[in-house]
Amino acid sequence: MAIINLKKKEVQAKIVYYGPGRGGKTTNLEYIYKKFRTRIQTEMVTIKTHGDRTLFFDFLPIEIGKIKGYDIRIQLYTVPGQVKYESTRRLVLRGVDGIVFVADSLAVRRKENVLSLKSLADNLASYKKSILKIPLVFQYNKRDLLEEGIPLLPVEWLEKDLNAKLKAPSFEASALKGPNVVQTMKKIIIMTIDSLRKDLT
Amino acid sequence: MAQEREEDNFRSQVEDRLDHLFKEDAPEEEPVGLVEHPLKNLKAVLLSVDWEITDSTMDSLLNEIKNVEYVYSEDKIILTFLQLLGSIGRYVKANKSKAHPEATRVINSVYEALEKVALTRGMPRAEKEKMLLDEVGKFKKLKEQVVLRKTERKEPPAAEVTPAPPAPAREPKEVPAAETPAREEEREKSFEAARFAQMPPHEAFAYALEEIKDMIRAEFRALRAEIKLWRESK
Repeated sequence: MAIINLKKKEVQAKIVYYGPGRGGKTTNLEYIYKKFRTRIQTEMVTIKTHGDRTLFFDFLPIEIGKIKGYDIRIQLYTVPGQVKYESTRRLVLRGVDGIVFVADSLAVRRKENVLSLKSLADNLASYKKSILKIPLVFQYNKRDLLEEGIPLLPVEWLEKDLNAKLKAPSFEASALKGPNVVQTMKKIIIMTIDSLRKDLT
Repeated sequence: MAQEREEDNFRSQVEDRLDHLFKEDAPEEEPVGLVEHPLKNLKAVLLSVDWEITDSTMDSLLNEIKNVEYVYSEDKIILTFLQLLGSIGRYVKANKSKAHPEATRVINSVYEALEKVALTRGMPRAEKEKMLLDEVGKFKKLKEQVVLRKTERKEPPAAEVTPAPPAPAREPKEVPAAETPAREEEREKSFEAARFAQMPPHEAFAYALEEIKDMIRAEFRALRAEIKLWRESK
């Protein structure tokens, strides 16, 4: 749930990057942070410790600045992708306002994408939110690997597997190299702020 | 009608602000590109290892390490980094999915440090050595974790025992020799991890939260110590 303080004219929205493990969620945030840190002037927080079993998420706050008198702040989060971290994923989703689903384009990860999307729908439902209604953007990541001859899922398959019912905006991207990382983020921010706007007017 | 116009105006202001903040012409933070650098292929192979550990990817990694060793045959610091990578690479190759999960993390960490040392122009030797020592420390810790895991699993006959990462040919002399307390600490951590796995979710979460608090406290202690050292050196 976004924090909207009408008195102080502040809006804080939470966007979560969700998807299967090793799909590139953290790489998305790292790309944004490395490339624009002099402009966004905030710190990225990463929590990943304690051997191979722990809470793990990344957090990147972004100050958009004043718009129509409102100070707009966006908080970007990632969830841990590995299956065993289900409770942490659910916890990070609490109060979410917008979702980027980072799908792994590798052919061998087809099943993991579908399972992860299902877990997203279930976890949102536990907070009485519908995946059909929440602002959602798909990112089909790792498209750059096609040049290296690595078998990838065709975008049509990804769309059919994941986005056939949801009909959300989608981007082919490479979180490692940068194409469409920023476009994905801009899209979800605009959609999220759009969805919150009714509370501001 | 007026409300629609107001909404469009709001949206276009958000878009303008985002365009301004995230113009793609921002300069890269990388000190030097890898376009034609000898590390370029090594990085590419490491990225593939990150998602697939097979004999073929691991052989490519080990071959690429040899190639880079040839290029840097006169640079002892970089050679030691490469030896660390080779040792962990051989261990991962021998154990594949059974390799300790820390191994891939350490391999990536060693590579990142190597890249920084190799690509940052004018980096003082002392700083390079410090980065190397940090990585050697991580490597040693990994070795201990591997040994500990083997002990706990009570692996049978020596012939079937999964090999621990072999020591690199040369290790810097400054590396501390006393390892017993670290081993005890690792054992303790391992017991904690086993206990953590058996907890119900709400307890596991509370436990993890405590762990994070401890970690943050430790980080602050380390930071304070570093600041103190820095002040004293001024």
